[in-house]
Amino acid sequence: MVNPHFVEVNIPSDPVFERVVRAIAAEVGEALCFTDERVDDLKLAVSEAVNNAIEHGNKNISSKPVEVVFALDNDKLEVRITDQGEGLGSNQRVDVWDRVRVVEEDNLEQGLLRSFGMSLIKALVDDLEVNSSQKGTIIVLRLYRKGQTE
Amino acid sequence: MSDVVTREEFGEVVVLHIKTNSVDAISAAAIEAACVDMRPITVLNFKDVSFINSAGISVLLKFVVKARKAGYKLFAMNLSPHHQKIFKMVEMSRFMPTIEEHDLAAHR
Repeated sequence: MVNPHFVEVNIPSDPVFERVVRAIAAEVGEALCFTDERVDDLKLAVSEAVNNAIEHGNKNISSKPVEVVFALDNDKLEVRITDQGEGLGSNQRVDVWDRVRVVEEDNLEQGLLRSFGMSLIKALVDDLEVNSSQKGTIIVLRLYRKGQTE
Repeated sequence: MSDVVTREEFGEVVVLHIKTNSVDAISAAAIEAACVDMRPITVLNFKDVSFINSAGISVLLKFVVKARKAGYKLFAMNLSPHHQKIFKMVEMSRFMPTIEEHDLAAHR
């Protein structure tokens, strides 16, 4: 595989279709001969990014599509997830990069049971880029192949 | 009780067998519905589960909250190695430690 190969899909902003993207991610990971664990990591990272795009980017407006592009080359898999939202505010940008979210007793008491997605993505992929503007947010996940295939 | 979660009770124990392979935003409501009648020892059996994302973790935390309020013990059983890793990442395993099937034998 010398030149990049692309798999592209556009889904409505409905969580049902996240499962479709997840299934594609699994097939792509297997096609790249990723280990089973690496495929599981890929599926979860893509799931979180797509759900963020659906819920926080496109606000669950099903007519707004989420675009997902898998770019495969010799060295890596790059997954680009694009929503059509209004972008991240400055507080959210800090949150995306700095917060490491784990289950904490205080949060349980207050009923704060969500927001683990970005922490998981950061832990599961090799590289993460977030580019946001008033036209939407693009999240790029990169998983390198070296030492991660079977 | 839905098809998504089946219930098995013995003594102080209830085992909630999660029958969907995906614990996510789609299955969350059906799984949460099983949170209503927990027992002093409540075990979530993940044998049939191949995928859990953060939306799934959020619904599992509702079991954690309810168990803590009632003073019940909550365990996870048959978690895959991948999901054990994810639970450690978010420190879920502190609140829902794993248990083996043979550990339940004394309660049967």
